Amino acid sequence: MTALRAPRPRGGLDRKIARKGWLFILPAVLLILALSFYPMVEAFLLSLQKGSGNQLTYGGLSNYQRLPKDNTYVTALGNTFFYLIVQVPVMLALALILAVMLNDSKLMGRGIYRTLIFLPCATSLVSCSMIFLQLFSNNGLLNSLFLRWGWVSEPIPFLTNAVYARLVIVITMLWRWTGYNMVFYLAGLQNIDHQIYEAARIDGASAIQQFTKITVPLLRPIILFTTVLSTNGTLQLFDEVRIMTAGGPGIGTATLSWHIYRTTFESVPRFGYAAAMAFTIFLMVAALAFIQMKVGERK
Amino acid sequence: MKKLLALLLVTVLLLSAASALAQTKLTVWCWDPAFNIYAMEEAKKVYALINPDVEIEVIETLSVDCETKQTAALSSGQTDTLPDIVLMQDNSGRRFLDTFPGAYFPMDGLVDYDNFATYKIDKFTSDGKRYAVPFDNGVAATFVRTDYLEAAGFTLNDLTDITWDRFIEIGQKVKEATGQFMLVTQAGYADFVSMITQSADFWFFDEDGRPNINTNPAVRAMVEVIVKLHESGIVKEAVDWSEYIASFNNGSAGSTIQGCWIIGSIVLAEDQAGKWGVTNIPRLDIESGTNYSSQGGSSWVVPASSKNPEAAVDFLSKTFGASVEFYQTILQSSGAIATYLPAAAGPAYSEPHPFFNGQKVFEDLMSYSAHVPLVKYGVYNYEARDEIVIAIEAIFNGTSIDDALNSAQSAIEFIME
Amino acid sequence: MTRKLRLKPLRVLKHLFLIAVSFLSAFPFYWMLSSATNDTADIILGRILPGSHLLVNWANLTGAGKIGTAFFNSVRNAVVLTFLSLFISSMAGYGFVIFRDKWKNKVMGVLMLSMMIPPAATLIPMFRMFSQLGLINTLAGFMLPSIATVFLIFMFRQATQSFPYEIVQAARIDGLGEFNIFLRMFVPIMRPTYAAAAIVTFMNAWNSYLWPLVILQSPDQLTLPIYAGSFRGGYVLDYGLIMLVVTISTIPMLVIFFTLQRSFVVGILGSVK
Repeated sequence: MTALRAPRPRGGLDRKIARKGWLFILPAVLLILALSFYPMVEAFLLSLQKGSGNQLTYGGLSNYQRLPKDNTYVTALGNTFFYLIVQVPVMLALALILAVMLNDSKLMGRGIYRTLIFLPCATSLVSCSMIFLQLFSNNGLLNSLFLRWGWVSEPIPFLTNAVYARLVIVITMLWRWTGYNMVFYLAGLQNIDHQIYEAARIDGASAIQQFTKITVPLLRPIILFTTVLSTNGTLQLFDEVRIMTAGGPGIGTATLSWHIYRTTFESVPRFGYAAAMAFTIFLMVAALAFIQMKVGERK
Repeated sequence: MKKLLALLLVTVLLLSAASALAQTKLTVWCWDPAFNIYAMEEAKKVYALINPDVEIEVIETLSVDCETKQTAALSSGQTDTLPDIVLMQDNSGRRFLDTFPGAYFPMDGLVDYDNFATYKIDKFTSDGKRYAVPFDNGVAATFVRTDYLEAAGFTLNDLTDITWDRFIEIGQKVKEATGQFMLVTQAGYADFVSMITQSADFWFFDEDGRPNINTNPAVRAMVEVIVKLHESGIVKEAVDWSEYIASFNNGSAGSTIQGCWIIGSIVLAEDQAGKWGVTNIPRLDIESGTNYSSQGGSSWVVPASSKNPEAAVDFLSKTFGASVEFYQTILQSSGAIATYLPAAAGPAYSEPHPFFNGQKVFEDLMSYSAHVPLVKYGVYNYEARDEIVIAIEAIFNGTSIDDALNSAQSAIEFIME
Repeated sequence: MTRKLRLKPLRVLKHLFLIAVSFLSAFPFYWMLSSATNDTADIILGRILPGSHLLVNWANLTGAGKIGTAFFNSVRNAVVLTFLSLFISSMAGYGFVIFRDKWKNKVMGVLMLSMMIPPAATLIPMFRMFSQLGLINTLAGFMLPSIATVFLIFMFRQATQSFPYEIVQAARIDGLGEFNIFLRMFVPIMRPTYAAAAIVTFMNAWNSYLWPLVILQSPDQLTLPIYAGSFRGGYVLDYGLIMLVVTISTIPMLVIFFTLQRSFVVGILGSVK
């Protein structure tokens, strides 16, 4: 709390200034209303229509009723939650641990470590997917090395075995995003007063106790923020799946966004149905964010 | 001053007249530099002699991307991003024609349809009108490294007119003798799903267009064969297309069973010249099983949004639709076998092919064409195929064949609702 | 200065762990760079060391003719979008705090909801909308959905909350108009936040894939990610070339990161308080 916050407007002059403030936010608000909310409303209206291509007729909630019967949707849902449950906690935990380690000003080479670990964020998802595709494919680097060293006699089907493929995607995401979250945590850690740790150390608290009783609680808002952001991102996972596995093998790595894209652009286009699927993602993201925020507040 | 103005006026008039005479520009979207793009470039050369005022630009676009962009443009009504000519997989023809009526330019009366193979024209006929200039013949064959066969004590004949079980036996001996995989295909076996089903004169739909995945004997037999292939250890399952092509180019696989358009990619490995042979495909061990099928094949369509549809059709009809020499030219290097019947009778078709050890591959392929079972493609071809691929993956992981096929059946019924 | 280096086992473990993680983070980059200098055959055999094939790969790439356009378009799109986005979003973030009232807070809450909309769903409605407005295949069409993002507004809002309000008050007393206050007082002081925001925005614009794939249709609008992505499962088996394209797509971001990463961290710091 270092800065004086803008007070609530009182009196005529304040009100006038507050009104001018609207001009500041208006362009952004209008853009978001027009380009996020309006299409979302359109998408909802679209989700109430059934049919293919441009031959759409009103179908009420029939699209939503179809969802549980759609095997691909259910599988994609399962996969998406798999990614969520496996990747997000591991990534955030790793990011947190790394941030705590790098927060030590006496650590040699911390600048270099930080830079290197943050580096993956410079890649586009496309580039990163292409690189990892090449690393893990049957004639990729890993298999070439394993074969050369005699660890295996045939290439490991990293991308054509459903379980491995899912893990490869998780690894790709971990590589790409851990550094990003680490930076957020580092920033948050720098805000925590050294003296709190000093006091705790004097009191005999171990490193682990300091971590769980001081660091984590104080970082709670940031942890919450990164959790919501990561959940959001993972629920909408698309690029890696499209480039690395095309949803495969079969639909083993398929995600909801991928299924939506396919239904809209690659199969017989069913815009209404795809919109309905997307709307369920929206509801899930909103619900999860809500839950996460409530949990974050209560503790 | 007046003279200057007059001069300017004349210049402007001349320039605008010149630009009116100037070139019509056509854009073409297609994929595969070794095959379709190569063919298009050759077609351009042929047409330049007929009508030099037309400028044609070929933009390499992956098949999936072509379809995605067309879907996006047609569904939003924003079509001026579409090209004048686009290559389309035969399997997708009905899908686009039926989903977006009026989106493509009908070609009746403008193209010499009498001289094209009927089965190709059918794929792009909707509501009695015809919408495409057929291109390549997708007849399937077994393309095999004869040197690998020899190493295991076999000849090309041993691979002719056989069943899949026999193919697997031979494949295992080849693997023992050479250490290489006998066969490569893309993981998931999507290509085989369509090709093998068709080889037994069945498709995924019955006469009335209703899916019959769990009741038709060919699908069941095909699935069983694929499971055997997967478990036999003789098949290299490539992660993606590039790995697939790389596998026969670098010798890590001894054969590929595919549409004949794969020749364009096989001959890229110059060091393997003389070591390849072609024969027909293995058959399913059921009553209707044959050793012939087709896989892929595409045709040229003209979106209705084109600004020069007549010019586009004229270009196509005078090259792909009429020029016998054109088809001779492109034959050897790409393997693009015409479905334009007069061309198929041309001289290049009976030439021995050096890459294939002097075998008259095109004669052979044309003779296979005559035996390809004709099945009726529907609108949901890819969806049905994909559901079967999903079923097969489940079977690999332990699901029973019955359960998996029933699942696929209800899934495709669901999609078609 | 002589200081005994005490090799505590814990410290050693820490370093080993960090070295391992750093290595894993950096290795794919190294491999990408070295593959760009190798030819396909070597790459398939698992070669890790750089080779002498860079010029050949480069020649093949420029021979294909698209890399120049793709690069130029990516730069242009990213730069213009970054400027516009920073301007409009920072103005909004500033406005939400300096002029806060309960209505504006409500509006902010509503805006947060928009973060949860999956892009694949609004793709078609947006595409339709843009085509009616004639914005397909234009820079404006590419930029509009990303100019105002809740993330940036949020970031600037957080940063503004640590901006000393006294400065604003003093400036008002001095007779400065609100917009002038923003431009002359806020922007210069908040430079680290702007730097961080610039990096994030530029990065997102540069790496953007799905939206450009749909809205930028003609080849003269090609961007680097679309070009790089067009090699997926495609017919070009030239892995060296593919890695070269990926390298070219990545190097600008790497350069920006290396030079501005300090500002980035400071900027995030400011918005995280």
